[in-house]
Amino acid sequence: MSIDLHTALAIATGRLSRRELLARSGMGLASLALAGLLPADRALAADVEAGPLNPLAPKPPRFAPKAKRVIHLFANGGPSQVDTFDPKPALAKYAGRELPSGNLPTERKTGAAFPSPFKFRKYGQSGIEVSDLFPHVAANIDDIAVIRSMVADIPNHEPSLLLMNCGEARLPRPSLGSWLTYGLGSENQNLPGFVAMCPGGLPIQGAQNWQSAFLPGIHQGSYVDTQHSEVEKLIEHIKTSQSPERQRRQLDLVQAFNRQHQSQRQGDRQLEARIQSFELAYRMQREAAEAFDTSDEPAHILEMYGPGTQARQILIARRLVERGVRFVQVWHGASQPWDSHNDIGDHEKLARESDQAIGALIKDLKQRGLLDETLVIWGGEFGRTPSMELPNPLIGNGKINGRDHNHHGFSMWLAGGGVRGGMTYGATDEFGFKAVDNPVHVHDLHATILWLLGIDHERFTFHYAGRDFRLTDVHGRVVKELIA
Amino acid sequence: MKRALVHAVCLATSVAAWLALPSSLWCQDQRVPATDAAAPAEVEFFERQVRPVLAERCFTCHGEKKQEAGLRLDSPSALVKGSDNGPVIDLKNPSTSRLLTAIGYEDSELQMPPDPPGKLPEAEIAAIRRWITAGAHWTADAPGAIAAADHASHWAFAPIRATAVPKVANEAWPRTAIDRFVLAILEEQGMAPAPPADRVTLLRRATFDLVGLPPDEAQIAAFANDPAPDAFAKAVDRLLESPHYGERWGRHWLDVARYADTKGYVRLAEERRFHYAFTYRDYVIRAFNDDLPFDRFIVEQLAADQLPLGDDAGALAALGFLTLGRQFTGNKHDIIDDRIDVVTRGLLGLTVTCARCHDHKYDPIPTADYYALYGVFASSEEPIVPPLIARPAGDAQTAAFQDEFQKRKQALDEYERKQYAALLDEFRARAADYLVKAVEGRVAPQQPLPKAAGEIRQLVVERWIDTIERAGERDEVFGPWHAFARLKKSEFAARAAEITTSWKSASGGSAAPRVNRAVRNRLLAEPPGSMVDVARAYGELLAQVNERWRGLVASAAAAASAAPERLADADEEQLRQVLNAPNSAVAVGMQEALWQYLYDAPINNEITKRRAAINEHLANTAQAPPRAHTLVEVAAAEEPRILVRGNPTRPGKRVPRHFLTALGQGEPRPFAAGTARLELARAIVSPNNPLTARVLVNRVWALHFGAGLVRTPSNFGLRGEAPTHPELLDFLAQHLIDEGWSIKKLHRWIMLSNVYQQASRDVADYRVRDPENRLLWKMSRRRLDFEALRDSILSAAGRLDLTLGGPSIDLASSGAKRRTLYGLIDRQGLPGMLPTFDFASPDAHSPQRYTTTVPQQALFLMNSPFLVEMAKAFAARDDVKALGNPADRVARMIGIAWGRAPSHDETKLALTFFEDDQRASASGGSLDAWEAFAQALLLSNEFAYVD
Repeated sequence: MSIDLHTALAIATGRLSRRELLARSGMGLASLALAGLLPADRALAADVEAGPLNPLAPKPPRFAPKAKRVIHLFANGGPSQVDTFDPKPALAKYAGRELPSGNLPTERKTGAAFPSPFKFRKYGQSGIEVSDLFPHVAANIDDIAVIRSMVADIPNHEPSLLLMNCGEARLPRPSLGSWLTYGLGSENQNLPGFVAMCPGGLPIQGAQNWQSAFLPGIHQGSYVDTQHSEVEKLIEHIKTSQSPERQRRQLDLVQAFNRQHQSQRQGDRQLEARIQSFELAYRMQREAAEAFDTSDEPAHILEMYGPGTQARQILIARRLVERGVRFVQVWHGASQPWDSHNDIGDHEKLARESDQAIGALIKDLKQRGLLDETLVIWGGEFGRTPSMELPNPLIGNGKINGRDHNHHGFSMWLAGGGVRGGMTYGATDEFGFKAVDNPVHVHDLHATILWLLGIDHERFTFHYAGRDFRLTDVHGRVVKELIA
Repeated sequence: MKRALVHAVCLATSVAAWLALPSSLWCQDQRVPATDAAAPAEVEFFERQVRPVLAERCFTCHGEKKQEAGLRLDSPSALVKGSDNGPVIDLKNPSTSRLLTAIGYEDSELQMPPDPPGKLPEAEIAAIRRWITAGAHWTADAPGAIAAADHASHWAFAPIRATAVPKVANEAWPRTAIDRFVLAILEEQGMAPAPPADRVTLLRRATFDLVGLPPDEAQIAAFANDPAPDAFAKAVDRLLESPHYGERWGRHWLDVARYADTKGYVRLAEERRFHYAFTYRDYVIRAFNDDLPFDRFIVEQLAADQLPLGDDAGALAALGFLTLGRQFTGNKHDIIDDRIDVVTRGLLGLTVTCARCHDHKYDPIPTADYYALYGVFASSEEPIVPPLIARPAGDAQTAAFQDEFQKRKQALDEYERKQYAALLDEFRARAADYLVKAVEGRVAPQQPLPKAAGEIRQLVVERWIDTIERAGERDEVFGPWHAFARLKKSEFAARAAEITTSWKSASGGSAAPRVNRAVRNRLLAEPPGSMVDVARAYGELLAQVNERWRGLVASAAAAASAAPERLADADEEQLRQVLNAPNSAVAVGMQEALWQYLYDAPINNEITKRRAAINEHLANTAQAPPRAHTLVEVAAAEEPRILVRGNPTRPGKRVPRHFLTALGQGEPRPFAAGTARLELARAIVSPNNPLTARVLVNRVWALHFGAGLVRTPSNFGLRGEAPTHPELLDFLAQHLIDEGWSIKKLHRWIMLSNVYQQASRDVADYRVRDPENRLLWKMSRRRLDFEALRDSILSAAGRLDLTLGGPSIDLASSGAKRRTLYGLIDRQGLPGMLPTFDFASPDAHSPQRYTTTVPQQALFLMNSPFLVEMAKAFAARDDVKALGNPADRVARMIGIAWGRAPSHDETKLALTFFEDDQRASASGGSLDAWEAFAQALLLSNEFAYVD
């Protein structure tokens, strides 16, 4: 593998073309790639990157996956099921009166039955009912499996966010995305394997939502504030202050020094890995800039997604999975936008911001043949009560038209990635308060997501602090009915 | 020796197979329902008719993987142990066994298997019934027996053994005992150690190891030219005397201690900073610099508040080891769990928190041990204002500071005390409302929210439930409550009358316990029709008595006479105590009242505001004297209760506070209330405990060699790895104890060995046989951790500010030139470069750092403003710029970066770079050629690795 100084020098200073070098040295292309001398050639470099020193090298799952990548659209704050994907006409009967079944305990006190102010319609071949809040999503309903019987544990944002993301409500545990990059690596070494986008700041619980906890730090989600559109504000340290040509020359010098250093230290893979990491970083600068820049999208695509921040970040999500990023999480916004305690009317604005782009995402992925292997997940950390939240002088601002958190039953949906479309699964009670048929706990959802990615959640472990940890702890059931 | 070798070479390849072994449940209860002596017919009946049914119908939820309700049915010992709710079979009275009740669907509340799939076929029920009635014969479970044997012989629990230093063939090589232990194993493998490293390499290695900085050129030259035979020993001594030694090793300890400057996620108005975390960090630095004996270091970190510290309160800061963990929005169970974890994994290498919900599956740590430790920490709390640890200086400025501080503190104290008293008074006056709520039972804990006036505080309800449960059935006050609570709803009225009648007829001298007269009269006067009636009767009675008491106190105060000490009537006094004793259900602690939002929301906000005003004054005033995040013992600490399956709504039996059973002889000795932490600390450093010294020696070894003798540094349990050199580990552990727990001595023993001084050369054959260098046939090459890398960059640039100690700084700010360990560690917002460079997560105790190699690290080095600034500064150093000749300047810069002279080829590479840069049309952007060259050196592998 060693290369004489003159050759190295010639390459470093560009006086020798790669082709000339090949001819001169008689080395095979692959061995040259191994020597790290073809910095711009991604395909070849992949051979080198697959070593165990790179924790993000792609790894095959245990069994053939249905999905290869995930986009998780996080409607943080808790969208209301009875106003979106779980129609409950019975609520109208009791409007303004107490529910005959009584109200379940939630975070705050709630009162009378509160029928949805939004109309539901049947969509698609399947005839699944969706409210007027999500017409564009509903147009794709035959590709969507709606889970109407989701269950979480606690009606507070913080523990429920952690449960949904990390499978544990309080203690530091790795998030789903970090588990996935730990288990599967990522298909594109020039981009982070796990990207978490949230415009304008962080959601409640901040970076803990995409924490790697006891997994190596590289598995934590890379946070991107999508209120910005300039790439250097999106990704830390992505832009050089030199010209790319100068930086290349500088890196060639570094690598020439590194080869000198390495030639006296045979057999140490970590030196080679670090050499490669600089080449990856160099390419990442260009590739990441491209991935996050939507300006090269044709007009009809931009139109399909619509205007606004949600549209841009959802389109970026497509561009990222297209490039092989393993897990992309798209948060609606900082804090908890979907938390409509005082006025469910707020749901209308939130849905309008995101509906068109989400609908476009599914359609777009399908057109590109990517939907089959891309799992799209939509939902919040819990749902909302079908009863009206009582006024609270300490928190509300006088309006009484909202719903409290509800972990007893709520809706989420999955699309693509091997999910059977055009179906609903499970059901809440007559009023939409509690999951009664085929409840799907968050652990079950996680087990199912992992299964779609080719992973058995009971065998996918990380040994830490004396035991084997799992995303699903000791719980979880794969909901096979959701799988095509 | 042979055994060690087997471990050493087999472990690497056998880990996968080893993980796949079925877990064997460690079981306290060695009684089994039957023995191998069971009649063959019974054995056959069990094997043919019963075991298959259990396996098919029950094991899914009550087997190896899941234990619903804590019940396993896949072994006789587990069967006898029963579920969280008690035994499931009763061999004396088999027909009443709960297992039979459940499968027979005899009780509507307890039906197994649940629907679906529903009730078993009658034939299967009959088979199980026959089996239990006949004595539940089952061959004894072998796994349990094996597990018990494993515990007894597990190397880590065995006493430290003195082993003779082994003989070796190559007598010429060893310099110290360490060398003999290592060489003996190498020789058995037919391997030879590496030749010694050259002096430049050795000094660079030693300097990074001990102070985390590169040696300067003068130090290198002095050492390289020192002909003295003890030149290296002198160099090591010089480094150990450097104040920067404490910074380097203090930071290593902060990984163990999961140090941070913030509490993690906090809600609403709670303060997010630990303002004085840095005093703990500085304490740790000082402890290492002073070579504080490690046993003393531990005792101070666990119980400095209980030591006679004399005039120097500085050691109080040591308690940061316990107090600076994540705060879990005030959830005390999780805070305590984190403290148990940092103590047990950090100091003992045991994963005790596994036993929070069930007995440890692999190690001999029963749940009772976990709660014994839980009790040690549950009886401590943080003072509201952290105490001073140094006297404020006496100048005028400080006096002004003190005046303002006292003013703000008084504003808080007056207000909070008043509101706190009013809060408890309200709880007392509304005892009836709370007791009625208590009848509904416990609810799962929720995050506290601001409260409206008059809202019932669930936390107080839970405390009432605790109080009543604790009082028990024979309690004079609450005995009747228990009697009524046993009645079924449907027959309450009728049976309640029986109870009250029995009091009337009971004559003196009967076995029935006495009932408080006031309680009895009240319940006789108004016979209850339900538990709600009972609760209301108790509550009203208690409130009445309390009112009378308040009246007495008030009139005594008005008359300026002495305050009353008790109520005259003994029965009434007994009731008064229920509401006024220090451990009363209503007597929530002052801290807890605030953190759990027990006050009405506006009051909670006001107290928080006044506390913040103090903190702000302390944090933002340069003259503020340092304080410490300490602990104090609370007055009325109770014996801890086991929380069944870790669930706070299911308190189980009480356990005394004590040390881990497995580390003592026989029954553990209970710790006294009030000194439990100190006793725990003493048990941890007791010479009878073999773990503490082994764990420490291993951590220090790992930091010198890149990996420990035990490669799971915080898990010495049965699932941890065995030591590669067990005799050496014990030799060093014993030596450490014998020599007064001096860590500096330990460094010397290690560093003056030939093993440490080996070159990091490769031998292809050895690499194949032992790729991880477990046998130490060379020194492993190590990459600088983030602190050493960043500090070295600052140092090369001539910009490193070597000021010691003080409040933390923002690492991301452009002015940050201090050593990296002084960066503020914000659990909720760690600067991105830290996790990228494998910094230890401050969320929990960190056993060791990862070493990943990813492009994000390279991006930071290539493009961050910090590197650009440092590259410019490096190129602009006076001693660099002074050199006019490019080759001289290149040599100077390489000397600074790599600590050696450039080779001819390297100089040529550099000069060619400059030539090309001049010719190139592409702009250098913000860096000129020399600056780009400076950065290239900072990016190079030679800069980042230590041979």
